[in-house]
Amino acid sequence: MRLQLLLCPAVLLLGALDLTAQVKASEPAKVSQTIDGTELTLEYSRPRVRARDSVFGKVVKWEEVWTPGANWATTLELSKGVRLDGHPVPKGKYSVWLAVHPTGPWTMVLDPRNHRFHTEHPDSTAEQIRFNVTPEEGPFTEVLSWSFPEIRVTGGTLAMQWGTTRVPFRVDVEPSYSLATTAAKAGPYIGRYTFDWVQKQPGDTTALTLTITHKDSILVGEWNPLPWPEAGPFILIPIKEDWFITGFTEKGELYQVEKDMVIEFARKRGQKLASAFEVRGEGDSLMATGKRKP
Amino acid sequence: MTEKTTSDRYRVPRRRFLQLCTGLLAAALYPGAGDLRAAVRPLRGGPHPAPRPGITAANVLSHDQLAGAAHAIDVFDQIREIPEIADGIRCQCGCADTPGFYSLLSCYESDGMARFCDICQGEGRMVYRLHKAGQTLDEIRAAIDARFG
Repeated sequence: MRLQLLLCPAVLLLGALDLTAQVKASEPAKVSQTIDGTELTLEYSRPRVRARDSVFGKVVKWEEVWTPGANWATTLELSKGVRLDGHPVPKGKYSVWLAVHPTGPWTMVLDPRNHRFHTEHPDSTAEQIRFNVTPEEGPFTEVLSWSFPEIRVTGGTLAMQWGTTRVPFRVDVEPSYSLATTAAKAGPYIGRYTFDWVQKQPGDTTALTLTITHKDSILVGEWNPLPWPEAGPFILIPIKEDWFITGFTEKGELYQVEKDMVIEFARKRGQKLASAFEVRGEGDSLMATGKRKP
Repeated sequence: MTEKTTSDRYRVPRRRFLQLCTGLLAAALYPGAGDLRAAVRPLRGGPHPAPRPGITAANVLSHDQLAGAAHAIDVFDQIREIPEIADGIRCQCGCADTPGFYSLLSCYESDGMARFCDICQGEGRMVYRLHKAGQTLDEIRAAIDARFG
Protein backbone atom coordinates (compact mmCIF):
# COMPACT_ATOMS: atom_id res chain seq x y z
CA MET A 1 0.00 0.00 0.00
CA ARG A 2 2.82 2.33 0.89
CA LEU A 3 4.60 1.54 -2.36
CA GLN A 4 1.42 2.20 -4.31
CA LEU A 5 1.10 5.57 -2.70
CA LEU A 6 4.67 6.37 -3.63
CA LEU A 7 4.18 5.32 -7.24
CA CYS A 8 1.00 7.28 -7.66
CA PRO A 9 2.59 10.71 -8.14
CA ALA A 10 5.14 9.21 -10.51
CA VAL A 11 2.38 7.73 -12.65
CA LEU A 12 0.53 11.03 -12.64
CA LEU A 13 3.73 12.83 -13.69
CA LEU A 14 4.30 10.41 -16.53
CA GLY A 15 0.77 11.02 -17.70
CA ALA A 16 1.47 14.72 -17.91
CA LEU A 17 4.53 14.27 -20.14
CA ASP A 18 4.30 14.18 -23.89
CA LEU A 19 5.81 10.77 -24.47
CA THR A 20 6.19 11.45 -28.17
CA ALA A 21 8.61 14.28 -27.51
CA GLN A 22 12.19 13.19 -27.68
CA VAL A 23 15.50 14.91 -27.93
CA LYS A 24 17.48 13.38 -30.74
CA ALA A 25 21.10 13.75 -31.74
CA SER A 26 19.88 14.03 -35.32
CA GLU A 27 16.59 15.86 -35.38
CA PRO A 28 14.15 15.05 -38.19
CA ALA A 29 13.58 17.61 -40.92
CA LYS A 30 11.68 18.04 -44.13
CA VAL A 31 12.37 20.37 -47.03
CA SER A 32 10.10 20.77 -49.99
CA GLN A 33 10.29 22.85 -53.14
CA THR A 34 7.83 23.26 -55.97
CA ILE A 35 9.20 24.24 -59.37
CA ASP A 36 6.72 24.80 -62.19
CA GLY A 37 4.26 22.37 -60.61
CA THR A 38 6.78 19.66 -59.77
CA GLU A 39 7.18 19.12 -56.04
CA LEU A 40 10.42 17.73 -54.63
CA THR A 41 10.42 16.71 -50.96
CA LEU A 42 13.32 15.49 -48.87
CA GLU A 43 12.81 13.98 -45.45
CA TYR A 44 15.89 13.32 -43.39
CA SER A 45 17.47 13.40 -39.99
CA ARG A 46 20.15 16.00 -39.42
CA PRO A 47 23.38 14.85 -37.77
CA ARG A 48 25.63 17.49 -36.28
CA VAL A 49 29.39 17.65 -36.62
CA ARG A 50 29.71 18.08 -32.85
CA ALA A 51 33.41 19.01 -32.99
CA ARG A 52 34.31 15.76 -34.68
CA ASP A 53 37.08 16.32 -37.17
CA SER A 54 37.15 14.86 -40.66
CA VAL A 55 33.49 14.06 -41.05
CA PHE A 56 34.18 12.31 -44.30
CA GLY A 57 36.77 9.60 -43.93
CA LYS A 58 36.15 9.14 -40.21
CA VAL A 59 32.53 9.64 -39.20
CA VAL A 60 31.50 8.51 -42.66
CA LYS A 61 33.94 5.83 -43.75
CA TRP A 62 35.39 5.98 -47.21
CA GLU A 63 33.78 3.54 -49.66
CA GLU A 64 30.68 3.42 -47.49
CA VAL A 65 27.27 3.64 -49.14
CA TRP A 66 25.98 6.27 -46.78
CA THR A 67 22.62 7.94 -46.47
CA PRO A 68 23.16 11.71 -46.31
CA GLY A 69 21.29 12.04 -43.05
CA ALA A 70 20.89 9.75 -40.06
CA ASN A 71 18.60 7.15 -38.54
CA TRP A 72 16.13 6.20 -41.28
CA ALA A 73 17.50 6.76 -44.75
CA THR A 74 16.94 10.15 -46.29
CA THR A 75 14.11 10.06 -48.81
CA LEU A 76 13.44 12.05 -51.94
CA GLU A 77 9.86 12.17 -53.19
CA LEU A 78 8.99 13.55 -56.62
CA SER A 79 5.47 14.45 -57.70
CA LYS A 80 6.59 14.25 -61.35
CA GLY A 81 9.63 12.97 -63.14
CA VAL A 82 12.70 15.21 -63.10
CA ARG A 83 16.29 15.14 -64.29
CA LEU A 84 19.02 15.15 -61.67
CA ASP A 85 22.36 16.15 -63.14
CA GLY A 86 20.84 15.21 -66.48
CA HIS A 87 19.73 11.73 -65.38
CA PRO A 88 16.01 11.00 -65.66
CA VAL A 89 14.38 10.17 -62.33
CA PRO A 90 10.73 9.09 -62.56
CA LYS A 91 8.02 10.24 -60.22
CA GLY A 92 8.18 8.31 -56.95
CA LYS A 93 9.82 8.07 -53.56
CA TYR A 94 13.41 6.94 -53.15
CA SER A 95 15.85 6.36 -50.37
CA VAL A 96 18.95 8.46 -50.99
CA TRP A 97 22.49 7.15 -50.67
CA LEU A 98 25.95 8.38 -51.55
CA ALA A 99 28.88 6.06 -52.15
CA VAL A 100 31.73 8.19 -50.82
CA HIS A 101 35.30 7.94 -52.04
CA PRO A 102 38.48 9.73 -50.92
CA THR A 103 39.25 10.84 -54.47
CA GLY A 104 37.27 11.29 -57.62
CA PRO A 105 33.51 11.51 -57.98
CA TRP A 106 31.03 10.01 -55.56
CA THR A 107 28.06 7.93 -56.62
CA MET A 108 24.49 9.02 -56.03
CA VAL A 109 22.18 6.07 -55.44
CA LEU A 110 18.40 6.47 -55.51
CA ASP A 111 16.70 3.29 -54.38
CA PRO A 112 12.95 2.70 -54.77
CA ARG A 113 13.10 0.77 -51.48
CA ASN A 114 12.54 3.97 -49.60
CA HIS A 115 12.05 2.80 -46.00
CA ARG A 116 15.42 1.55 -44.87
CA PHE A 117 17.45 2.13 -41.77
CA HIS A 118 20.77 3.82 -42.33
CA THR A 119 22.63 0.62 -41.50
CA GLU A 120 20.82 -1.27 -44.27
CA HIS A 121 23.21 -0.19 -46.98
CA PRO A 122 21.49 -1.11 -50.21
CA ASP A 123 22.91 -3.72 -52.50
CA SER A 124 23.13 -2.78 -56.15
CA THR A 125 19.91 -3.47 -58.05
CA ALA A 126 18.67 -2.76 -61.53
CA GLU A 127 15.87 -0.61 -60.13
CA GLN A 128 18.28 1.87 -58.60
CA ILE A 129 19.26 5.06 -60.31
CA ARG A 130 22.99 5.65 -60.05
CA PHE A 131 25.14 8.45 -61.33
CA ASN A 132 28.36 10.20 -60.45
CA VAL A 133 28.39 13.45 -58.51
CA THR A 134 31.26 15.73 -57.66
CA PRO A 135 31.70 16.82 -54.06
CA GLU A 136 33.17 20.24 -53.55
CA GLU A 137 34.50 22.38 -50.74
CA GLY A 138 31.89 24.60 -49.14
CA PRO A 139 31.41 26.82 -46.12
CA PHE A 140 31.37 24.91 -42.84
CA THR A 141 27.92 23.59 -42.03
CA GLU A 142 27.45 22.23 -38.51
CA VAL A 143 24.17 20.45 -39.16
CA LEU A 144 23.74 18.35 -42.29
CA SER A 145 21.50 20.31 -44.61
CA TRP A 146 19.57 19.68 -47.77
CA SER A 147 18.46 22.84 -49.51
CA PHE A 148 17.47 24.42 -52.80
CA PRO A 149 19.82 27.39 -52.95
CA GLU A 150 18.98 28.26 -56.55
CA ILE A 151 15.66 28.13 -58.39
CA ARG A 152 15.08 28.69 -62.08
CA VAL A 153 11.83 28.54 -64.01
CA THR A 154 12.72 25.13 -65.36
CA GLY A 155 14.70 23.77 -62.44
CA GLY A 156 17.23 24.66 -59.82
CA THR A 157 19.96 23.31 -57.61
CA LEU A 158 19.54 20.80 -54.82
CA ALA A 159 22.48 20.73 -52.44
CA MET A 160 23.65 18.60 -49.53
CA GLN A 161 26.08 20.24 -47.13
CA TRP A 162 27.82 18.86 -44.09
CA GLY A 163 31.08 19.94 -42.54
CA THR A 164 33.01 21.59 -45.33
CA THR A 165 31.64 19.29 -48.03
CA ARG A 166 28.96 20.31 -50.43
CA VAL A 167 27.36 18.13 -53.11
CA PRO A 168 25.21 20.08 -55.58
CA PHE A 169 22.73 18.48 -57.98
CA ARG A 170 21.26 20.21 -60.98
CA VAL A 171 17.49 19.72 -61.10
CA ASP A 172 15.51 20.06 -64.31
CA VAL A 173 11.73 19.72 -64.24
CA GLU A 174 9.29 19.10 -67.05
CA PRO A 175 8.33 22.59 -68.26
CA SER A 176 4.60 23.15 -68.39
CA TYR A 177 4.80 25.60 -71.28
CA SER A 178 6.41 25.64 -74.66
CA LEU A 179 7.70 29.08 -75.54
CA ALA A 180 8.53 28.18 -79.09
CA THR A 181 6.20 28.97 -81.96
CA THR A 182 6.97 27.76 -85.47
CA ALA A 183 7.20 30.32 -88.22
CA ALA A 184 4.05 28.92 -89.81
CA LYS A 185 2.08 29.21 -86.58
CA ALA A 186 3.50 32.62 -85.75
CA GLY A 187 2.73 34.11 -89.16
CA PRO A 188 -0.91 35.04 -88.56
CA TYR A 189 -0.07 37.18 -85.55
CA ILE A 190 2.99 39.06 -86.76
CA GLY A 191 2.32 42.69 -87.45
CA ARG A 192 1.41 46.02 -85.89
CA TYR A 193 -1.72 46.58 -83.86
CA THR A 194 -3.42 49.41 -82.07
CA PHE A 195 -3.51 48.88 -78.32
CA ASP A 196 -6.29 50.46 -76.29
CA TRP A 197 -6.88 50.09 -72.60
CA VAL A 198 -10.53 49.54 -71.81
CA GLN A 199 -10.36 51.59 -68.65
CA LYS A 200 -8.68 54.83 -69.52
CA GLN A 201 -6.50 56.33 -66.85
CA PRO A 202 -5.28 59.89 -66.48
CA GLY A 203 -1.89 60.15 -68.08
CA ASP A 204 -2.40 57.24 -70.43
CA THR A 205 -0.44 57.54 -73.60
CA THR A 206 -2.84 57.70 -76.47
CA ALA A 207 -2.31 55.81 -79.72
CA LEU A 208 -0.23 52.92 -78.45
CA THR A 209 1.08 50.49 -81.02
CA LEU A 210 1.82 46.85 -80.20
CA THR A 211 4.28 45.27 -82.60
CA ILE A 212 4.49 41.50 -82.72
CA THR A 213 7.55 39.90 -84.24
CA HIS A 214 8.96 36.40 -84.47
CA LYS A 215 12.54 36.14 -83.18
CA ASP A 216 14.44 32.95 -82.48
CA SER A 217 11.25 30.87 -82.66
CA ILE A 218 9.52 33.10 -80.13
CA LEU A 219 6.67 35.55 -80.60
CA VAL A 220 7.60 38.85 -79.00
CA GLY A 221 5.35 41.80 -78.24
CA GLU A 222 6.67 45.34 -77.89
CA TRP A 223 4.84 48.59 -77.28
CA ASN A 224 5.58 51.92 -78.84
CA PRO A 225 5.56 54.30 -77.14
CA LEU A 226 5.96 52.53 -73.84
CA PRO A 227 2.76 52.58 -71.79
CA TRP A 228 4.90 52.51 -68.72
CA PRO A 229 8.42 53.88 -68.41
CA GLU A 230 10.00 50.51 -67.66
CA ALA A 231 7.75 48.41 -69.85
CA GLY A 232 9.70 46.12 -72.12
CA PRO A 233 9.08 43.32 -74.59
CA PHE A 234 7.21 40.22 -73.53
CA ILE A 235 6.87 36.71 -74.91
CA LEU A 236 3.58 35.43 -76.26
CA ILE A 237 3.28 31.81 -75.10
CA PRO A 238 0.72 29.75 -76.99
CA ILE A 239 -1.87 27.93 -74.90
CA LYS A 240 -4.45 27.34 -77.61
CA GLU A 241 -5.01 28.37 -81.20
CA ASP A 242 -5.15 32.19 -81.23
CA TRP A 243 -4.66 32.39 -77.44
CA PHE A 244 -1.46 33.40 -75.70
CA ILE A 245 -0.32 34.07 -72.19
CA THR A 246 2.61 36.31 -71.44
CA GLY A 247 6.11 35.41 -70.35
CA PHE A 248 8.87 37.60 -69.06
CA THR A 249 12.63 37.13 -69.25
CA GLU A 250 15.64 38.62 -67.64
CA LYS A 251 19.19 38.04 -68.83
CA GLY A 252 18.02 35.34 -71.16
CA GLU A 253 16.14 33.37 -68.54
CA LEU A 254 12.38 33.12 -68.35
CA TYR A 255 11.42 34.13 -64.84
CA GLN A 256 7.67 34.57 -64.84
CA VAL A 257 4.70 33.26 -66.77
CA GLU A 258 1.58 35.30 -66.27
CA LYS A 259 -1.49 33.10 -66.69
CA ASP A 260 -3.91 35.82 -65.75
CA MET A 261 -3.28 37.88 -68.87
CA VAL A 262 -4.54 36.14 -71.96
CA ILE A 263 -4.23 37.69 -75.39
CA GLU A 264 -6.99 36.31 -77.59
CA PHE A 265 -6.58 36.98 -81.28
CA ALA A 266 -9.50 36.98 -83.69
CA ARG A 267 -9.54 36.39 -87.43
CA LYS A 268 -12.13 37.45 -89.93
CA ARG A 269 -13.90 34.60 -91.63
CA GLY A 270 -11.70 33.07 -94.30
CA GLN A 271 -8.71 35.23 -93.36
CA LYS A 272 -5.38 33.80 -92.33
CA LEU A 273 -4.09 36.89 -90.57
CA ALA A 274 -5.36 37.86 -87.15
CA SER A 275 -7.32 41.07 -87.44
CA ALA A 276 -7.76 42.01 -83.80
CA PHE A 277 -7.17 40.89 -80.23
CA GLU A 278 -8.54 41.20 -76.75
CA VAL A 279 -6.55 41.08 -73.54
CA ARG A 280 -8.45 39.21 -70.86
CA GLY A 281 -7.49 39.44 -67.21
CA GLU A 282 -8.57 37.86 -63.97
CA GLY A 283 -12.20 36.88 -63.92
CA ASP A 284 -12.26 37.09 -67.71
CA SER A 285 -12.35 40.88 -67.47
CA LEU A 286 -11.63 42.74 -70.69
CA MET A 287 -8.51 44.82 -70.15
CA ALA A 288 -7.48 45.96 -73.59
CA THR A 289 -8.31 45.60 -77.26
CA GLY A 290 -6.37 46.05 -80.45
CA LYS A 291 -6.81 46.04 -84.19
CA ARG A 292 -4.33 45.23 -86.91
CA LYS A 293 -2.82 48.28 -88.52
CA PRO A 294 -2.55 48.44 -92.28
CA MET B 1 2.57 60.91 -46.38
CA THR B 2 3.61 58.71 -49.22
CA GLU B 3 3.73 60.32 -52.60
CA LYS B 4 1.40 58.69 -55.05
CA THR B 5 3.34 57.00 -57.80
CA THR B 6 2.40 56.63 -61.41
CA SER B 7 1.60 53.00 -60.85
CA ASP B 8 -1.10 53.88 -58.35
CA ARG B 9 -3.23 55.14 -61.18
CA TYR B 10 -3.47 51.70 -62.67
CA ARG B 11 -5.81 49.12 -61.39
CA VAL B 12 -4.10 46.05 -60.04
CA PRO B 13 -4.17 43.58 -62.93
CA ARG B 14 -2.99 46.17 -65.35
CA ARG B 15 -0.31 47.40 -63.03
CA ARG B 16 0.82 43.86 -62.47
CA PHE B 17 1.03 43.27 -66.18
CA LEU B 18 3.06 46.36 -66.77
CA GLN B 19 5.35 45.81 -63.85
CA LEU B 20 6.14 42.36 -65.11
CA CYS B 21 7.36 43.88 -68.33
CA THR B 22 9.97 45.86 -66.45
CA GLY B 23 13.50 45.54 -67.65
CA LEU B 24 12.85 43.18 -70.48
CA LEU B 25 15.13 43.29 -73.44
CA ALA B 26 14.47 41.61 -76.73
CA ALA B 27 18.12 40.69 -76.93
CA ALA B 28 17.79 38.79 -73.71
CA LEU B 29 15.16 36.39 -74.94
CA TYR B 30 15.52 32.89 -73.66
CA PRO B 31 17.90 31.13 -76.06
CA GLY B 32 16.93 27.61 -75.12
CA ALA B 33 13.25 28.01 -75.74
CA GLY B 34 13.29 25.63 -78.63
CA ASP B 35 14.34 22.87 -76.31
CA LEU B 36 11.31 23.20 -74.15
CA ARG B 37 8.90 20.44 -74.85
CA ALA B 38 5.25 20.73 -75.73
CA ALA B 39 2.98 21.94 -73.04
CA VAL B 40 1.70 19.29 -70.68
CA ARG B 41 -1.12 20.78 -68.70
CA PRO B 42 -3.16 18.03 -67.06
CA LEU B 43 -6.65 18.79 -65.89
CA ARG B 44 -7.11 19.19 -62.18
CA GLY B 45 -8.66 15.91 -61.37
CA GLY B 46 -10.58 14.62 -64.32
CA PRO B 47 -12.56 15.04 -67.49
CA HIS B 48 -15.46 17.36 -68.11
CA PRO B 49 -18.86 15.96 -67.10
CA ALA B 50 -21.62 15.17 -69.52
CA PRO B 51 -24.49 17.65 -69.17
CA ARG B 52 -27.39 15.97 -67.40
CA PRO B 53 -30.45 15.63 -69.64
CA GLY B 54 -33.13 18.12 -68.75
CA ILE B 55 -30.89 20.11 -66.42
CA THR B 56 -32.25 23.56 -65.59
CA ALA B 57 -31.16 26.65 -63.71
CA ALA B 58 -33.86 26.16 -61.10
CA ASN B 59 -31.29 25.78 -58.33
CA VAL B 60 -29.04 28.65 -59.34
CA LEU B 61 -28.98 31.13 -56.47
CA SER B 62 -31.38 34.04 -56.82
CA HIS B 63 -30.52 37.70 -56.33
CA ASP B 64 -32.01 37.48 -52.85
CA GLN B 65 -29.59 34.70 -52.02
CA LEU B 66 -26.60 36.70 -53.19
CA ALA B 67 -26.55 39.19 -50.36
CA GLY B 68 -22.98 40.26 -49.81
CA ALA B 69 -21.91 39.13 -53.25
CA ALA B 70 -23.27 41.90 -55.45
CA HIS B 71 -20.17 41.75 -57.63
CA ALA B 72 -21.13 38.24 -58.68
CA ILE B 73 -24.77 38.83 -59.56
CA ASP B 74 -23.98 39.31 -63.25
CA VAL B 75 -22.24 35.99 -63.61
CA PHE B 76 -24.99 34.16 -61.71
CA ASP B 77 -27.43 35.68 -64.20
CA GLN B 78 -25.26 34.51 -67.07
CA ILE B 79 -25.11 30.96 -65.77
CA ARG B 80 -28.86 31.04 -65.25
CA GLU B 81 -29.15 31.50 -69.03
CA ILE B 82 -26.97 28.53 -69.98
CA PRO B 83 -27.33 25.73 -67.40
CA GLU B 84 -26.96 23.03 -70.03
CA ILE B 85 -23.55 24.42 -71.01
CA ALA B 86 -22.29 25.08 -67.50
CA ASP B 87 -23.30 21.53 -66.60
CA GLY B 88 -20.83 20.19 -69.17
CA ILE B 89 -17.85 22.01 -67.68
CA ARG B 90 -15.61 20.72 -64.90
CA CYS B 91 -14.69 23.49 -62.53
CA GLN B 92 -10.92 23.78 -62.27
CA CYS B 93 -10.76 25.50 -58.89
CA GLY B 94 -10.62 22.19 -57.07
CA CYS B 95 -14.23 22.13 -55.91
CA ALA B 96 -15.08 19.40 -58.42
CA ASP B 97 -13.80 16.82 -55.95
CA THR B 98 -16.18 18.01 -53.24
CA PRO B 99 -19.14 15.70 -52.53
CA GLY B 100 -22.27 16.99 -54.23
CA PHE B 101 -20.44 18.88 -56.95
CA TYR B 102 -21.15 17.72 -60.47
CA SER B 103 -20.12 20.57 -62.74
CA LEU B 104 -19.48 24.29 -62.95
CA LEU B 105 -23.24 24.70 -62.57
CA SER B 106 -22.92 23.22 -59.06
CA CYS B 107 -20.75 26.20 -58.08
CA TYR B 108 -23.74 28.44 -58.67
CA GLU B 109 -26.20 26.34 -56.65
CA SER B 110 -26.66 25.32 -53.02
CA ASP B 111 -23.82 26.93 -51.02
CA GLY B 112 -22.97 29.04 -54.06
CA MET B 113 -19.22 28.67 -54.04
CA ALA B 114 -19.07 31.02 -57.02
CA ARG B 115 -20.21 33.86 -54.78
CA PHE B 116 -16.65 34.18 -53.50
CA CYS B 117 -14.46 32.09 -55.80
CA ASP B 118 -12.66 34.09 -58.49
CA ILE B 119 -11.97 30.98 -60.54
CA CYS B 120 -15.62 29.85 -60.56
CA GLN B 121 -16.61 33.36 -61.59
CA GLY B 122 -13.93 33.69 -64.24
CA GLU B 123 -14.86 30.34 -65.74
CA GLY B 124 -18.54 31.27 -65.66
CA ARG B 125 -17.97 34.56 -67.46
CA MET B 126 -15.73 32.95 -70.04
CA VAL B 127 -18.14 30.07 -70.68
CA TYR B 128 -20.96 32.54 -71.20
CA ARG B 129 -18.90 34.78 -73.49
CA LEU B 130 -17.66 31.95 -75.67
CA HIS B 131 -21.13 30.37 -75.87
CA LYS B 132 -22.58 33.69 -76.99
CA ALA B 133 -19.79 33.88 -79.56
CA GLY B 134 -21.07 30.65 -81.05
CA GLN B 135 -18.51 28.20 -79.74
CA THR B 136 -19.48 24.59 -79.17
CA LEU B 137 -19.30 22.88 -75.80
CA ASP B 138 -16.14 21.05 -76.87
CA GLU B 139 -14.53 24.31 -77.96
CA ILE B 140 -15.49 25.94 -74.68
CA ARG B 141 -14.08 22.99 -72.76
CA ALA B 142 -10.79 23.34 -74.65
CA ALA B 143 -10.69 27.02 -73.80
CA ILE B 144 -11.37 26.32 -70.12
CA ASP B 145 -8.59 23.74 -70.08
CA ALA B 146 -6.14 26.14 -71.74
CA ARG B 147 -7.00 29.02 -69.46
CA PHE B 148 -7.65 27.36 -66.11
CA GLY B 149 -6.37 23.80 -66.41
